[in-house]
Amino acid sequence: MAKKIMIIDDDPDIVTYLTDLFTDSGYATCSAADGAQALDVVKAERPDCITLDIEMPDEWGPRFYRKLSQEPEFRKIPVIVISGLNATKYAVPKAAANFSKPFDREELLATVRQIVD
Amino acid sequence: MFKNILFATSASPACDDAARVAFDMARRYGARLRVFHVLGAPTRAFSQLVVDMRTGEEVSLDDNYLDLVREELKTTYAKQLAECADCTIDTVVGFTHREILRAAREMDADCIVMGASDDSEGPRTYHKGVTGSTLQRVAKAARCPVLTVARPSASYWGGVSNIVFGTDFSRASDSAFRFALKAARELGAELNIFHALDISSLASSVALSQDEIEEKVIQARDRIRAKYVANLEGFTNYEVEVWEGVPYVEIVKFAREKQADLIVMAHNTRELDPERARIGSTVEQVILRANCPVLSVNRPDKI
Repeated sequence: MAKKIMIIDDDPDIVTYLTDLFTDSGYATCSAADGAQALDVVKAERPDCITLDIEMPDEWGPRFYRKLSQEPEFRKIPVIVISGLNATKYAVPKAAANFSKPFDREELLATVRQIVD
Repeated sequence: MFKNILFATSASPACDDAARVAFDMARRYGARLRVFHVLGAPTRAFSQLVVDMRTGEEVSLDDNYLDLVREELKTTYAKQLAECADCTIDTVVGFTHREILRAAREMDADCIVMGASDDSEGPRTYHKGVTGSTLQRVAKAARCPVLTVARPSASYWGGVSNIVFGTDFSRASDSAFRFALKAARELGAELNIFHALDISSLASSVALSQDEIEEKVIQARDRIRAKYVANLEGFTNYEVEVWEGVPYVEIVKFAREKQADLIVMAHNTRELDPERARIGSTVEQVILRANCPVLSVNRPDKI
């Protein structure tokens, strides 16, 4: 069964881009448009890895991460931060990896493979 | 909670992170935001020659120059201004801290938002560990709380759901506690009441035994219960924690551990002469090092 990557980003273009990138590489995907709905999607979809944007309209990435880390069942899901903001490594200190937009797709895929496979 | 916010900016990159917080607060809480820039000080009274705050150059103050500065501010914050419903931009001439305080009084500000930098430039910030003189002067004299954002990572706002109130049990901390409680109640946030037991100053030349330290931790916990928990007025979403160590280090660590959105502290100082007093060294270090905005409260006026 294909590993599932969840994409959390308010930019639909980024969601489409990452969905295509992961799907083409053999992963299943699911997505959420901001942190507020993301936890429900996590519970429903049970992803193996999450890519997380920081700045989103309702609930920002760090807030979602905090909620996620309070859920014993889901706290160990690796989170990869992908954001246009600087210093994101301090925003989600326990993230598995950090990428700045624009990011290198091959580098991202290699990181996902390393984390998930 | 936040209805009138004064965002004091130099429009330099040092204020970018504070801008993110100020605009997000205004949008999220439906507040009126005043973007306020002091462009320079007159070389002498009523002079049209002004020393530009950022460049240090003397410039002639005319309509063209004022328009130029306003336009620069609009360009700097174009994206945020487009999303802000109730926002004004003001530029004035004068001494920065005085004008900021005057503007805050005029608009009856609930909160002043500022960036933090030190008196020097570049990487010396953390070597010196001293905040800039404008912040010092504003924080000491402001009637309303002053929210400071010093690091990019301190600017991830997105609302407040977890507040750390750091106390040293001083009188000034009482005002900070009232503000933290009010904020937690109105914003639906968790309130973490935290005290850092300063073991470096408890016994200057004698190392305390662990039993003595733990006894003092228990006493501090009891003190928090008596002083703060007893005054929570039915508020139940709180936690009490006491750690021993160097206070600013422990507060920053605790806030990081709790993934706090906001640290509330009093800026207490041991210096009695108001002219010489800086804001307390602990809050100063917390401001420079924290991963979230730090709100310092000095007076009960706006609480």
